[in-house]
Amino acid sequence: MANYNVYLVGVGGQGILTIADMIMRAAQALDVPANYYPTKGMAQRGGFVKAQLKLGAETVGPDIRPLGADLGIAMELSESLKSIRYIKPGGTLVVYGYKWQPTAVMLGKAPYPTREDVEKAAADAGLKLVFLDPADQPEDTADNIYLLAATMRHSGLGEVVSEEAITEAIKARWPKGAERNMRSFEAGLAVE
Amino acid sequence: MAKVNLSGNEAAAQAALSSGAKLIVGYPGTPSSEVIGSIWGKKYDGVTIEWSTNEKVAFEEAAACAWAGQRSIVTMKMSGLNVAYDAFISVVYSGCTGGMVVYVADDPGVSAGMPEQDIRGFALMSDVPVLEPSSVLESYTFVQYAFELSEAIQGPVIVRTVSNVSQSHALIELPEAHPIEPRKPHFVNDPFKYTKAGAKICMDQHRDLIARLAAAQVKLHKDGMHKLSLGKKGGKGIVTVGVTSAFLDESLELIKAAGADVEGISTLQLAATLPEATEEFAAMLDNCESILVLEENEPHVEKAISLQAFHEGKNVEIIGKLNGPLSRIGNYTAATCATGMAALFGVEFKMDTAAADDAESHCAARPIGVCAGCPHRGVYMGLIDAVKKLGYKKDEVIITGDIGCTILGSCPPFDCLWTEVAMGASIAMAQGFTHAEWPTPVFATIGDSTFIHAGMPPLVNAVQNEVPITVVIMDNGWTSMTGMQVNPNTAEEFQYPGESRTRVDVVDIVKGLGVKQLWVVDPYDLPKMTDTIVEAAKLPGVKVIVSRRECAIQAGRRKIKYGLSVVDQEKCINCKRCINTTGCAAIVSDENGVHINPSQCNGCGICTYVCPVNAIEKKEV
Repeated sequence: MANYNVYLVGVGGQGILTIADMIMRAAQALDVPANYYPTKGMAQRGGFVKAQLKLGAETVGPDIRPLGADLGIAMELSESLKSIRYIKPGGTLVVYGYKWQPTAVMLGKAPYPTREDVEKAAADAGLKLVFLDPADQPEDTADNIYLLAATMRHSGLGEVVSEEAITEAIKARWPKGAERNMRSFEAGLAVE
Repeated sequence: MAKVNLSGNEAAAQAALSSGAKLIVGYPGTPSSEVIGSIWGKKYDGVTIEWSTNEKVAFEEAAACAWAGQRSIVTMKMSGLNVAYDAFISVVYSGCTGGMVVYVADDPGVSAGMPEQDIRGFALMSDVPVLEPSSVLESYTFVQYAFELSEAIQGPVIVRTVSNVSQSHALIELPEAHPIEPRKPHFVNDPFKYTKAGAKICMDQHRDLIARLAAAQVKLHKDGMHKLSLGKKGGKGIVTVGVTSAFLDESLELIKAAGADVEGISTLQLAATLPEATEEFAAMLDNCESILVLEENEPHVEKAISLQAFHEGKNVEIIGKLNGPLSRIGNYTAATCATGMAALFGVEFKMDTAAADDAESHCAARPIGVCAGCPHRGVYMGLIDAVKKLGYKKDEVIITGDIGCTILGSCPPFDCLWTEVAMGASIAMAQGFTHAEWPTPVFATIGDSTFIHAGMPPLVNAVQNEVPITVVIMDNGWTSMTGMQVNPNTAEEFQYPGESRTRVDVVDIVKGLGVKQLWVVDPYDLPKMTDTIVEAAKLPGVKVIVSRRECAIQAGRRKIKYGLSVVDQEKCINCKRCINTTGCAAIVSDENGVHINPSQCNGCGICTYVCPVNAIEKKEV
């Protein structure tokens, strides 16, 4: 199996690490070699969070080098820009365009990037950008599951871990929330 | 057998359990906390699991357990070894009989905000073997091996991990356990081994220590722990240690793509920096015309192999950081390793990341901050208000900070803590500033766990010498920054589940240390906090304010809400003072004005005190 590297970014509390965890559980079920390295930093909530997933290789260093990821997954608009360094030209970046504005931005004291900034950055780096506008997301769906499903549809991740293994992992993790999570997953798969 | 999903730290814990460790003990510290964290609260027959008051205590407990012939492991982060090192030196000179593993996590690249130190330097100073796992699997097998090595040489062994190994999760086949028969404790009163009574004893112990390291060198070589692969005679060689071994394949691919001919290369993947792999080094020096050394942080292996080349009269070029393009700063990726290889092979290796530089320049800064509902907020705001009420400017009054969540007062919007040095240092530093005749009152701030860890001696010092300082102990009942571990002051109901362990109340400790001027204040009551700080600052002698309220994250996990703060949109003048002074993430300003996110607000009510038009009201829930 070819190596497949995924670089994930977001803000603490959004559930970005859960996306990585679900991919990891799917890899486990399918016996795909995997190394998952989350970095939570110091903030309990509201801080920058990243995770690095290396799939398909038995012996592997935990960090993804610059231009070494096949796929980037971002849960926050501004933080998505931090993943660009790590994605190889021709790779895919899936961005959930939620804006979690730091206080200084809220107070008008600091700038915040626009969707166009992200589109330009992805184009300059030669990436295929998949942009999910939170406004288009159906009511009462889980952001991270929605994003994960859209990623399965629009990237090569589905060739490494199957959709079925992912949904089984989600159901096993939250038996009680299965109905809402599957609805979220279906909604994500429907993203054009 | 199905593979298990374990982190490096979790694998180390499982290895300790399966190797018959009798005591698993430590002090929390990122990135080491999950060794104990992953088994905390569980029951294992005949095994004691404990968070100690500090790393020195933990180390000494583990040492005595190993002196009694049992196996023990002590865990800590790099700066923890600084604390334990006094006892460490003494114990390693004595050696041990049971297997003793000292599991220490370094943090190259600084993901957790401590000095980027390399604890292999400590191993060199104390002649202790330091095994360095390169993966989650080796986190298991090296801890297992460390117990066996420790008993073989009769001395403690360090397992040095790093952030990206200890916190990586991988799917591994659990290695076969190497269990031991249960042992009866056995300890002989032998002052020649277990005391330092006299020069002869100490120098004999020094000789024995050096002999133990020599024995470890022989054993590591015999057991094939270092992986040597000799290629073409007169060709190139690469030496890796720890996590850099894991990057070898990927970086060789990169450098091949850059035009290097890597056929016939010799490689040496070290399991340990110390003892030096003298025989393996000799084979590499004999076989290669130039050798690249890949190690994060300090050039210890590079120095060792360079020195050996000198003594053996080998004209081999050694490339690394002393001679070469690699840096002592930061953690390595395959790209870093490839940069070293470019120098080895004389090819050009460059990656074009200009687009990323431009992208990151548009990124919004996201400073770390205090959680919504955090009780520490009331202390920072109380201090800032009190300084004003005392007639001083904010930049005139020194407030020292300490390690843990309490240091977040040095971040916006508070920016009120001036120093961060070491566990407990806030209280001693405040005394030093006072002795320097700083013209205003001096304050110290410290968390409950940090105070118990190392804050008691400096407080006794202040009491004895009647140094006029005001200490605020921010008692939130948990060791929070490292992921919510218990400490002696944690409520009894949250101490070890199913076991009887006693809570030691931080207020009782302060009283017992001779502090006469003591207040216990709820930081959610901001006016009371401010008034108490003002009152204390005006009094002579040592004053201690215990700010007491449980960590909002931990209380939140038990669904505790103290109410809900709500902005009255009729009254709100949109001045945003609430956001500017509290920095609370629950308060949002958007096109609809200022409002409070009910899912984040825990009803601490601190924001209600700062609104100039009383537009924020705390409601019952």
